[in-house]
Amino acid sequence: MSGVLLAPLAAAPVIPDFGRGSTCIRDNKLFCWDWVQSNWGGTLRPALIQHIELTLIAVVVGFAISFVLALAAYRWSRLEPPVGIVAGILYTIPSLALFQLLVPVTGLSRTSAEIALVSYTILILFSNILEGLRNVPADVRDAAEGMGLTRWQTLWRVELPMALPTIVAGLRIAVVTVVSLATVAVFIVNEGLGAPIYAGLQNAFKTELIAAGALTVALALFADGALVLLQRVLTPWARTARS
Amino acid sequence: MLRRQSRKRDINVKQGTLRIGLAILAALALAVGLAACGSSNNKNSGTSSSAAGASTSASSTPAGQPGTGKPAVTLGDKNFTEQFILGQLYRQALEAKGYAVRLKDNIGSTEIADKALRSGQIDLYPEYIGIFNTAVAGDTKAYGTVQQAYAAGRAYAERHGFTLLPLTPFTDVDALAVKPAYAQKNNLTSVADLAKIRGLRLGAPPEFRKRETGLVGLARVYGIRDVSFSPLTIGLQYQALDSGKIDTADVFTTDGQLQGGRYTVLRDPKNVFGFQNVTPVVSSRVLTAEGPEFQATIDAVSQKLTTEAMQRMNAAVAIDKQSPAAVARSYLQANGLL
Repeated sequence: MSGVLLAPLAAAPVIPDFGRGSTCIRDNKLFCWDWVQSNWGGTLRPALIQHIELTLIAVVVGFAISFVLALAAYRWSRLEPPVGIVAGILYTIPSLALFQLLVPVTGLSRTSAEIALVSYTILILFSNILEGLRNVPADVRDAAEGMGLTRWQTLWRVELPMALPTIVAGLRIAVVTVVSLATVAVFIVNEGLGAPIYAGLQNAFKTELIAAGALTVALALFADGALVLLQRVLTPWARTARS
Repeated sequence: MLRRQSRKRDINVKQGTLRIGLAILAALALAVGLAACGSSNNKNSGTSSSAAGASTSASSTPAGQPGTGKPAVTLGDKNFTEQFILGQLYRQALEAKGYAVRLKDNIGSTEIADKALRSGQIDLYPEYIGIFNTAVAGDTKAYGTVQQAYAAGRAYAERHGFTLLPLTPFTDVDALAVKPAYAQKNNLTSVADLAKIRGLRLGAPPEFRKRETGLVGLARVYGIRDVSFSPLTIGLQYQALDSGKIDTADVFTTDGQLQGGRYTVLRDPKNVFGFQNVTPVVSSRVLTAEGPEFQATIDAVSQKLTTEAMQRMNAAVAIDKQSPAAVARSYLQANGLL
């Protein structure tokens, strides 16, 4: 490495025309629709997709863990208090703190974000799956046994289908929780809708924040609605019973 | 987390096989889920993140590029507009040469970026030489020239396993700005004039309070002590000035908002704010591992960054709300660096 400073420039750099923003944008008006249009593909859509990924991974992994734990606690009820306590403690840790606590272990990575998000789903999903199974009326279980079903068959063909409404109710809470909490993950990974929200907070221009906030709400509502539909499809008997 | 749960279960359950089975299942579920995650972390532009995706996978990197086969580097940038642009400039230039770059955008103030660098979370980030000396090296000496400041910073960095790459031509010094009407009313031209104002309401980022290039230096050198300090997010201080919440704001001389005469920047005759040309701070180990072309690529970008260029890029992002990625791309293209 030669000299301390860079050599003086032989020629000044070329400064291209970066393009001007509209009056609304330059004056930092509260909401500029033209900004949303021109940044949809570059900023908002990728953030929305990342947000869906963050949420899906957290809920799928959280559900898998909770499902196994809940089945085990249903079979061996002594398991319930320890799992409940650990999940409860995890649930009460403030999200911002939990994300930061994981940074020394798993780094400023998506892994840290997902571990935190997964841990928030476990209490909700575990208790709802377990509750759903326990609420199956004893005479239904007796009838299944009387028909000669094994324990495993009873679980899959009778108990889980009957628990489905409670399980889906848990899933709905978990999904909506994760959609909103995933915005806080921006403090460790600059991904998802939290990124434009955070950028908007640091800026006099609020369109980015408002647009990303609205997308977060829309995503939560959409996911919730989709789960309601899913439940209707999966429990046709509930509709027949009502009509 | 999982380990804690299974330890809990140890106490409560005797059925060993179930316990192990559950732990394995849970771990598997977690591993499968996490393996599915990508590692792209770019908020700015879909097109540039797809470009990142292409260049981080070794197979699609054109052969014969200097960066081909070199270990991936993690580039950080701090928490304001100019840094977002610098992060994109260095990242895109490196990627164009085939280097695999992960960008950790918006990590925080110098204090946080430095911690991230020392702990290996990032391998390099753009820093201002005066801030490096005062906030990182704890060196409060006033240097007469930028070369002296740079030499002192380099010496410190070398002792700690870092290298300061050559400085940019542009300098982005902190400055105190006021509304022109306020300057006229109080007869202000220089920072020294602020010493006579009682209860001066000053807005600046939180770290300004404890920095030598901040309240500490202002008190020591200019005797400005009667200050009511408002910690503000960088970028929001102009709003606070406009609304009259503060009398004076800490600004950066390359801020796009300073164009057009809406604010008066006070002179700093005793140079409290020092020399603030940008030097990329890089882990010396990483610099060696990446080879000489790596530094050459970074230097070629730094060399093109004049004060006017930086101001125009900052204005394009802060005022016209272009994305830092798009602004960086057109600048690099215009100067033959892509």
